[in-house]
Amino acid sequence: MALTACSSSGSKSGSSASGNTTLKLLAPDYGTAGGPDSSQKYWQGIADDFHKANPTITVQVQTIAWTNWDQVATQLQNKQYPDILLGDAPQELAASGLLYPLTDVMSASTISNLIPVFAKQEESNGVAYGAPFTTSSRALFYNKKLFAAAKITDAPKTWTDIQNDAAKIKALGNGTIGYGLPLGPEEAQGESYLWMLGNGGGYVDSSGKYAINSAANIETFNFLTSMVKAGDTEPSPATVDRKDMWSAFGNGTVGMVGGSGALIPIIKTAGKLQTSDWAVTTMPGKSGPLTQALAVHDDITAFKSGGHAAQIKQFLDFAYADKYQIQFDNEYSLLPATTSASKSLSASDPVAAGFLATVPNAVVYPTNSNWNTVKTKIQQSIGTAAQGTDPSKVLGTLQTFASSN
Amino acid sequence: MTQTTHADVLGPASDPGGDRRPPRRAGRLARALAPLPWIGPATGLILFVVIWPVIAMFQTSREHYSSLGVLMGSAGWNNFTRLFDEADLGGVVMRTVIWVVAVVALTMLISLGVAQMFNKEFPGRRFARWALIAPWAASVVMTSIVFRWMLDPNNGVVYVLLKQLGLVKNFNTTDTGWLGNPTDAFWCAVFVAVFVSIPFTTYALLAGLQAVPADVYEAAKLDGASPLRTYWAVTLPLLRPALLVAALINVMNVFNSFPIIWELSGGGPGSQSATTTIFMYQLKQSSIGEAAAMSVVNFGFIIVIVLLFLRASKWNSAED
Repeated sequence: MALTACSSSGSKSGSSASGNTTLKLLAPDYGTAGGPDSSQKYWQGIADDFHKANPTITVQVQTIAWTNWDQVATQLQNKQYPDILLGDAPQELAASGLLYPLTDVMSASTISNLIPVFAKQEESNGVAYGAPFTTSSRALFYNKKLFAAAKITDAPKTWTDIQNDAAKIKALGNGTIGYGLPLGPEEAQGESYLWMLGNGGGYVDSSGKYAINSAANIETFNFLTSMVKAGDTEPSPATVDRKDMWSAFGNGTVGMVGGSGALIPIIKTAGKLQTSDWAVTTMPGKSGPLTQALAVHDDITAFKSGGHAAQIKQFLDFAYADKYQIQFDNEYSLLPATTSASKSLSASDPVAAGFLATVPNAVVYPTNSNWNTVKTKIQQSIGTAAQGTDPSKVLGTLQTFASSN
Repeated sequence: MTQTTHADVLGPASDPGGDRRPPRRAGRLARALAPLPWIGPATGLILFVVIWPVIAMFQTSREHYSSLGVLMGSAGWNNFTRLFDEADLGGVVMRTVIWVVAVVALTMLISLGVAQMFNKEFPGRRFARWALIAPWAASVVMTSIVFRWMLDPNNGVVYVLLKQLGLVKNFNTTDTGWLGNPTDAFWCAVFVAVFVSIPFTTYALLAGLQAVPADVYEAAKLDGASPLRTYWAVTLPLLRPALLVAALINVMNVFNSFPIIWELSGGGPGSQSATTTIFMYQLKQSSIGEAAAMSVVNFGFIIVIVLLFLRASKWNSAED
């Protein structure tokens, strides 16, 4: 035990006398560990190509499954820093003084190729500390088979449509779920945001201050509560995680669910729905479809602890090539983070093109420096506001937490 | 340094004089320290494994850590104020008390009956005794996950059975949402906790029952005591040491139990089915300091339980 702890804590990754450098890269596994789609393979491929071109730099790749992602927090809490991390937004890491500014670790030409709406998200006090690497945008997936069985002809456009359609689909019986509402700890902040946006609400107001308990948001959760009570959703949404709801949709038992491109491989793997059995539409809002999609991104950040800014710069410029961006998006049905890769992907992939068209105008998560902590709290508790606890109370507690921490 | 100087100054003058006092004192000291090689490792281990973490926990509870584990300075009593301001805390503490009392009481009652049965000769007793070990031998996490799948709202085997019996109308409705409903989830967790606690308790009580000498029962029989009276006046008092040990070990185990509730409901929705142990873990995800404050409070509860245990065992040995 003690031995392993000692040997792995050498965070000053080796610069040996001969001038060789080892960079540690830590990334989530978007596929299955050990499987053919494991991100370990993707990154190892880039690392090998890079080593061939730059023999003095070796990149050591480690990937961790999303479901075990809290291990990364533990690693950081124990001060075992990687050189390069793919994961959450940089603000909180930057506030702790752990990161290089982006300009130190990425050349200007690569930075200017990042999609502007996401690149802006990397800033703390006007300085960017990270770069988006992969992105996705949210829309409503619906099961055309179930829609036909319930005699629904049009895709839903408003909350009322969702409510009526969900009631009809639920009435089909056999455990069919009308609208899948995953408000469990895995990604409650995303599902909630989709609904808040439909009522003109959100986590922050126009000035960037937290407004979690705004009247619009409370009204949104009152509406969700009424849907849950009527049985239009799965029972007890506050305990249901997104991955479970997505695999239920893949199994053909859910009428509608909010999803991103990442849901498509899940549907394909389940093999219950043909491509013609499901469709994607803009997420409905209270009185009409959302005019702005919710887009999310996972970011690259570079840690100062190893002192390898120059080598990290070489590697990141290399890894942001269109080739690798598009390889990643084809592998996981996600979207690129660079303008040039978006262009070539839009030309070749109509589904991705549909999602990409919404990106320039997309809404994103707040960039307040404590957002990661607030997000954790939201994931833990916001679901209760749709499941019997008074929304004004739940959202009020979150607001107090967000503005006092 | 000082020692060397001391020796340099005094050494040449005092040595030839043959003052015997210092060596004698050293001898006494050596004798006092003689057991050290034997108790040293154990003491060291306790200091390292028990005392040091406790000190670290107290320190952490007074410090302000960012959620990334970077120390941001002292927090004074802020972590405690924030903990006590948590709207969920009252419910969590109440639930913890109910959790401990309900699980331990049910476990003790059921185990008394099972132990009594296992103490009688019956065909297949050996097999039954072995079978009871299974829930004990299986990992608690594994058992909990099995129960979670048995209660899956979409196709859990418990609901399938209930549906075939006509008690549940449809899957994925509130009928099959036990684990999502805080009250139901809590009582499911109590059931699982009792299930995994029974084997140990039964064996502890069975050992106690086997230690009761047969002639006491003979005497009771000769005096014409009814079976109920015999049980009340002979068996239970003689079983008291075993009962006491079993109860107290269970209280501590159950109070600290994390995996059952965590696997069944994650303490959710929100913290509505969490005990203090689960709540501490939930707090850790957003605030390390506040979680440490919750740990300190938990530590206080444990100290109280230990004191009660010491008192009870004193009362036990005094009466015996």
